Amino acid sequence: MQRRFPNRVLPYILLSPSIVIVIIFLIVPTVQSIYMSFFRVSPFGDRKFFVGFENFTRLFQSSAYLHSLIITLIFAVLVVLIGLSLGTVIAVLLNQKLRGLFVYRTFFIWTYAISPAIAGTIWALMFNPSSGPIVYIIRSITGIGINWMTDRNLALAVVVIAASWKMLGYNIIFYLAGLQAIPEELLESASIDGASGVTKFFKIILPLLSPTTFFLLIMNMLYAFFDVFGLIDIMTKGGPGDATELLVYKLYRDGFISMNTGFASAQSVVLFVFVAILTVLQFKYTERKVFYG
Amino acid sequence: MKKILVVVLVLLSVVAFSKTTITFWHAMSGSNLTAVDNVVKGFNESQNEIEVVAQFTGSYAETLTKAIAAYRTGTHPHIVQVYEVGLQTMLDSGAILPVYQLAEPGFDWGDVVTPILNYYSVNDQLYSMPFNSSTAILYYNKDIFAAAGLDPNKPPSTFDELYEMGKKIVQSGASQGGISFGWPAWVFEQMHATHAQFYANNENGREAKASQVLFNGEFGQKVFIEWMKWAQDKVFVYGGREYSANTAFLTGQVAMLIQSTSSVGSIQKTASFNVGTSFLPRMEGYPRGNSVIGGATIWVLKGKSEAENKAVWEFLKYIIRPEVSLQWHKSTGYFPSSNTTVKLLMDEGWFASQPNHLTAFLQILSGSNIPEAQGVRLGNFVAIRDVVDSAVEKAVQYKGKDYEKEAKRILDDAAKECNNILREYIQLYGD
Repeated sequence: MQRRFPNRVLPYILLSPSIVIVIIFLIVPTVQSIYMSFFRVSPFGDRKFFVGFENFTRLFQSSAYLHSLIITLIFAVLVVLIGLSLGTVIAVLLNQKLRGLFVYRTFFIWTYAISPAIAGTIWALMFNPSSGPIVYIIRSITGIGINWMTDRNLALAVVVIAASWKMLGYNIIFYLAGLQAIPEELLESASIDGASGVTKFFKIILPLLSPTTFFLLIMNMLYAFFDVFGLIDIMTKGGPGDATELLVYKLYRDGFISMNTGFASAQSVVLFVFVAILTVLQFKYTERKVFYG
Repeated sequence: MKKILVVVLVLLSVVAFSKTTITFWHAMSGSNLTAVDNVVKGFNESQNEIEVVAQFTGSYAETLTKAIAAYRTGTHPHIVQVYEVGLQTMLDSGAILPVYQLAEPGFDWGDVVTPILNYYSVNDQLYSMPFNSSTAILYYNKDIFAAAGLDPNKPPSTFDELYEMGKKIVQSGASQGGISFGWPAWVFEQMHATHAQFYANNENGREAKASQVLFNGEFGQKVFIEWMKWAQDKVFVYGGREYSANTAFLTGQVAMLIQSTSSVGSIQKTASFNVGTSFLPRMEGYPRGNSVIGGATIWVLKGKSEAENKAVWEFLKYIIRPEVSLQWHKSTGYFPSSNTTVKLLMDEGWFASQPNHLTAFLQILSGSNIPEAQGVRLGNFVAIRDVVDSAVEKAVQYKGKDYEKEAKRILDDAAKECNNILREYIQLYGD
């Protein structure tokens, strides 16, 4: 192997800040979580005793946890599907030569720059059962008053919409970049051969976007599993009942509201393993279909 | 040598003349935040030695969580406002300094309003400082009552009346819904107390640590069945947890609201209609109990210097001064904590001009002083309330007709989960 650094120590010194950060903010908490998952701890941390695997067995016997797992899977699949399909379509539209294009682009990408708390507040206000504009419009047109605070499916739907919307800007940026990397000649020669717009989209654009799609698939999935806490907390707090209690939110409720640190640690370990397995599977099976051109 | 002496002298004088700073974490938002700031400002201006710094730290649950996290790292505030469900957790925490120990010997606690004193006392010793106590009352929109052809001065006093009136309101189109609740699980607790029913065993956990909840019994099921029936007829509209139901009431989407008295101030100020208040509606055929105290008190955390603890006590003494607690009551709707304050308010004609501020008082003083209504003390009550909130949410979504079975199923599930929480708590702390 070629040695690029004249000094043996220098690369380690240069790497050390990131290594320190990774150790402090990732490795240590992970190890602590694993350790804590074998204990029951009092809220103030003054009493604690070893319970072995009890936190884990309780987890898998708990119908509430299994319910949360199913809800999370449904949520993640919907968010990824909506985010990726809508992202591609809008990116293709935004990739055309239109007057004032940068204005549209900015508006679409904007959503990613909004903090989850603000996004949650916006959607909660729009769907507020008593004063929300969307509820008002639906009521004016159909005469039906919708209340997502009492309707399980509706609550999940609204949260899915908000979460997909929030991630849309991110997806569009990457798809736009992907689209702009597609060589003009390919599309031109396809046109000369008589390919229609639809054919070009499915036969050329989509396959060439597959690396982007694969990357976004993983990013969106991680987002749906870990990053939606703020949205849920602002919008539904996991309710009504347990309709929108995703795994991350349940973890928060058990750990920080019920102050059951050991049980919550067990959940975080399971969540970590679960997502790790999903990611490995995706790399193994999906990446084969990715065409890097 | 001279230089060092000067430095030491300067440092000493800074120490000698600097104020003792007391940090106070609380969960009061909106107009109540201003009220807290006014109390703190009043105290800081009343003397020169102590500076209280009040900090809003999120909802009650968030404030408690933050205080605990801070305590574990030794960065906790001197005093923290904890809601009533945190009582058992705080008592067992080993992290608190009971106020009766902090007070100078012979301090007269007798002036504290009895239901509040009872709630926060263990073996007749007061553990935390009364600050913002409340109870639940019924609010109603007099304009909607009139529009629906009902007497605006006759709010419902029983469940049956409430159901009939609610149906009339919905059918007449005066409003889309009859009633909504703030703090749904708390309202469920209130129902037990006002009908003289225990919520948990061992006298609601006041005799010994509760090991079992009792809310899935015949009475709790009855309440749930009624609520489910109301919900299906749009008489009950679920409005969310904590204070979110206030919006539905203020915008006229529902004609009635069961909510904490702490909302009297903000509701009267915001409402564009005539607001009436009354006692909580009851079911017939059950003994009469009393509504129970809610809200929060101020807890003193351990681990600070003697001088700082003394300063804390000065502040705590200040907040139950009659003139301070009088202003606090007027601007928020929370109970004035001392009997002297009640007399002051009465003498100046406050209750006569502000009848909605009197409702809660009359309700709590007209009920009977039985163990069922002195307050529930449960290990990890925070988690238990969360479970019951979910149970209420499940019940009011029910679309079928087999109310009895569904109510029993939901409550049994919730009770099982709560009993687990209690069992684990006892494993940690012993009974």
